[in-house]
Amino acid sequence: MIKVNGLYHSYSKDENFAVKNVNFEISKGEVFGFLGPSGAGKSTTQGVLTGLLPIQKGEVEVVGYDIRHPKREMFNKIGVSFEQSNVYGKLTALENLEFYRKLFDVETMNSMDLLKWVGLDHVANKKAGEFSKGMKHRLTFIRSMLNNPELWFLDEPTTGLDPAIASQIKDIVKEKNKQGTTVFLTTHNMYVADELCHRVAFIIDGEIKLIDSPRNLKLQHGEKFVVVEHLENDVLKKEQLSLIIDQDKARLNEIISTGKIEMMHTKEATLEEIFIKVTGRGLE
Amino acid sequence: MRRILNFVIRDIKSGTRDWLVIYLAAAPIMFALVLKMLIPSVGDSTLNVAIYEDTPPAIVSYLETYAKVIEVNDMEERILRMDDVFGVVVNDDKVEIVTQGNEMEGTVDLLKTIVGRYQNESVELPIEVEFSDIGWVMSPMKLEGANLLIIFNTILGGMLILLNLVEEKMSNTISAINVTPTKRKEFIIGKGLLGFILTLYGGAAVITVLGFEGINYAMLFVSVFAISFIGAIIGFSIGVVSDEPISAIASMKTVFIPVLASIFGAIYLPAKWIFILYWSPFYWAYDVIKDILLVQATWGQVFMNSGIILIITALVFVGLRKRIVNGLS
Repeated sequence: MIKVNGLYHSYSKDENFAVKNVNFEISKGEVFGFLGPSGAGKSTTQGVLTGLLPIQKGEVEVVGYDIRHPKREMFNKIGVSFEQSNVYGKLTALENLEFYRKLFDVETMNSMDLLKWVGLDHVANKKAGEFSKGMKHRLTFIRSMLNNPELWFLDEPTTGLDPAIASQIKDIVKEKNKQGTTVFLTTHNMYVADELCHRVAFIIDGEIKLIDSPRNLKLQHGEKFVVVEHLENDVLKKEQLSLIIDQDKARLNEIISTGKIEMMHTKEATLEEIFIKVTGRGLE
Repeated sequence: MRRILNFVIRDIKSGTRDWLVIYLAAAPIMFALVLKMLIPSVGDSTLNVAIYEDTPPAIVSYLETYAKVIEVNDMEERILRMDDVFGVVVNDDKVEIVTQGNEMEGTVDLLKTIVGRYQNESVELPIEVEFSDIGWVMSPMKLEGANLLIIFNTILGGMLILLNLVEEKMSNTISAINVTPTKRKEFIIGKGLLGFILTLYGGAAVITVLGFEGINYAMLFVSVFAISFIGAIIGFSIGVVSDEPISAIASMKTVFIPVLASIFGAIYLPAKWIFILYWSPFYWAYDVIKDILLVQATWGQVFMNSGIILIITALVFVGLRKRIVNGLS
């Protein structure tokens, strides 16, 4: 779906690159996360992939189109949800969607159905300028689905949303992915990336440091321990047991067999911990 | 075409929500109506004379060469009305002028001169007096005012384009349009069309309200269409880099300087100095529209002036192209 080879981009058109030597490929049906702190080069990469920024150096192919010679019909196949809501404040939610719907050459989704998906149907005829930040964000999000995109670019899709709405958005992404939509997700939210992505790329200072699945990363970088809290003679005890050492494995079996476990969890690393370990920097 | 119409409909919807389109559509009509109210006051300098039915035909015929003559039964009632109408009453060989006393300054002296000339027709004058025609075939206020309003409308059209683009910049919606199959020319035509329509409509409104008759509408359409481009380009060049309407309008208002300089220059400059206005497309528009309103224009003149306007506009576009393209990215 996406092939990027040796991508460089400089806003000042000099050697001060915002992204440098970026290489990756995304297969059809994959959810690919671009994970990095603010200013790492995530939006710049997405800008080049969506044609909003000119390609300066490198090769980029998106949905079969060479981005050096982009064709407008390419945009019938892709959808872009922006981090900053960008809707017409003087038009109603429904009018905003209807306007965009008519810009595509392919069959589009029903605007009211989309509004229902994100709980905006009751304000369909209200001007978007009167919406809260979260409502505008949801409107921007569903607008990017109008053309049933094969490739869906999502830039920080849950940032600034309350947990219930963020969960709703994540469910929609999962559902669309199940239907075959490829997703390029740009975020600095490790939980979103962990929950949604098949693979993630860590980008920092314009360079990709690592690409792998969240599971592999956890296996590679996480510690093989289990922390168990259990009652022994009515006293709460907390133990950390290795999953490699035989003695610890036997002790774990013993605790499980007594059946007085209060809490037990593996000490796998979070994506954020892995990111810090790999890049030496945080995600904020 | 579908997408172009989509942009036009969107701009109309958005523009009517805050009355912008309504105000800009009403503006040419309002300006024309104000001008129309002023034109009769110029026409009032024409002498209006009331006479009785039994006034000798010779003096009636004489007065009709200088004044508008009306027959009345009740002279006093007619004179006392609000407008400036003088009474001329013939008693035997004497001609009397009846006034209300509040007529426009100088007009009673004019009538006295006319009546005196009739009474002293047989007297040999020591000087020879000739009457000549200065060439005005309609009120200069009507002619120049209409021309100014028609050209002024092109700036209003540009302003509409500008404000619609500022809205796009403010809400950052151009990025969203750039990730749809919309071609750049579709966006530009879609965004500019309403400005052109407003300019053409404004021109038609001015002509209709001021009651011009017998003019060639096709010539007017071609000329106004040509001059509309300059307003549109200036509207685009300011609109695509502005994300705040007040400063954008302030920038657009500076365009009134070349518009007014071109028109007043054309009116007041002696013929030998007119060449200093040749750089201005507004001068060429003024020049041809004036002749169209006077029903003196030829298609050759219309095409020549429109061609010059379009060449100057193209040069302006070349200068502003990079700014416009960057602003649309």
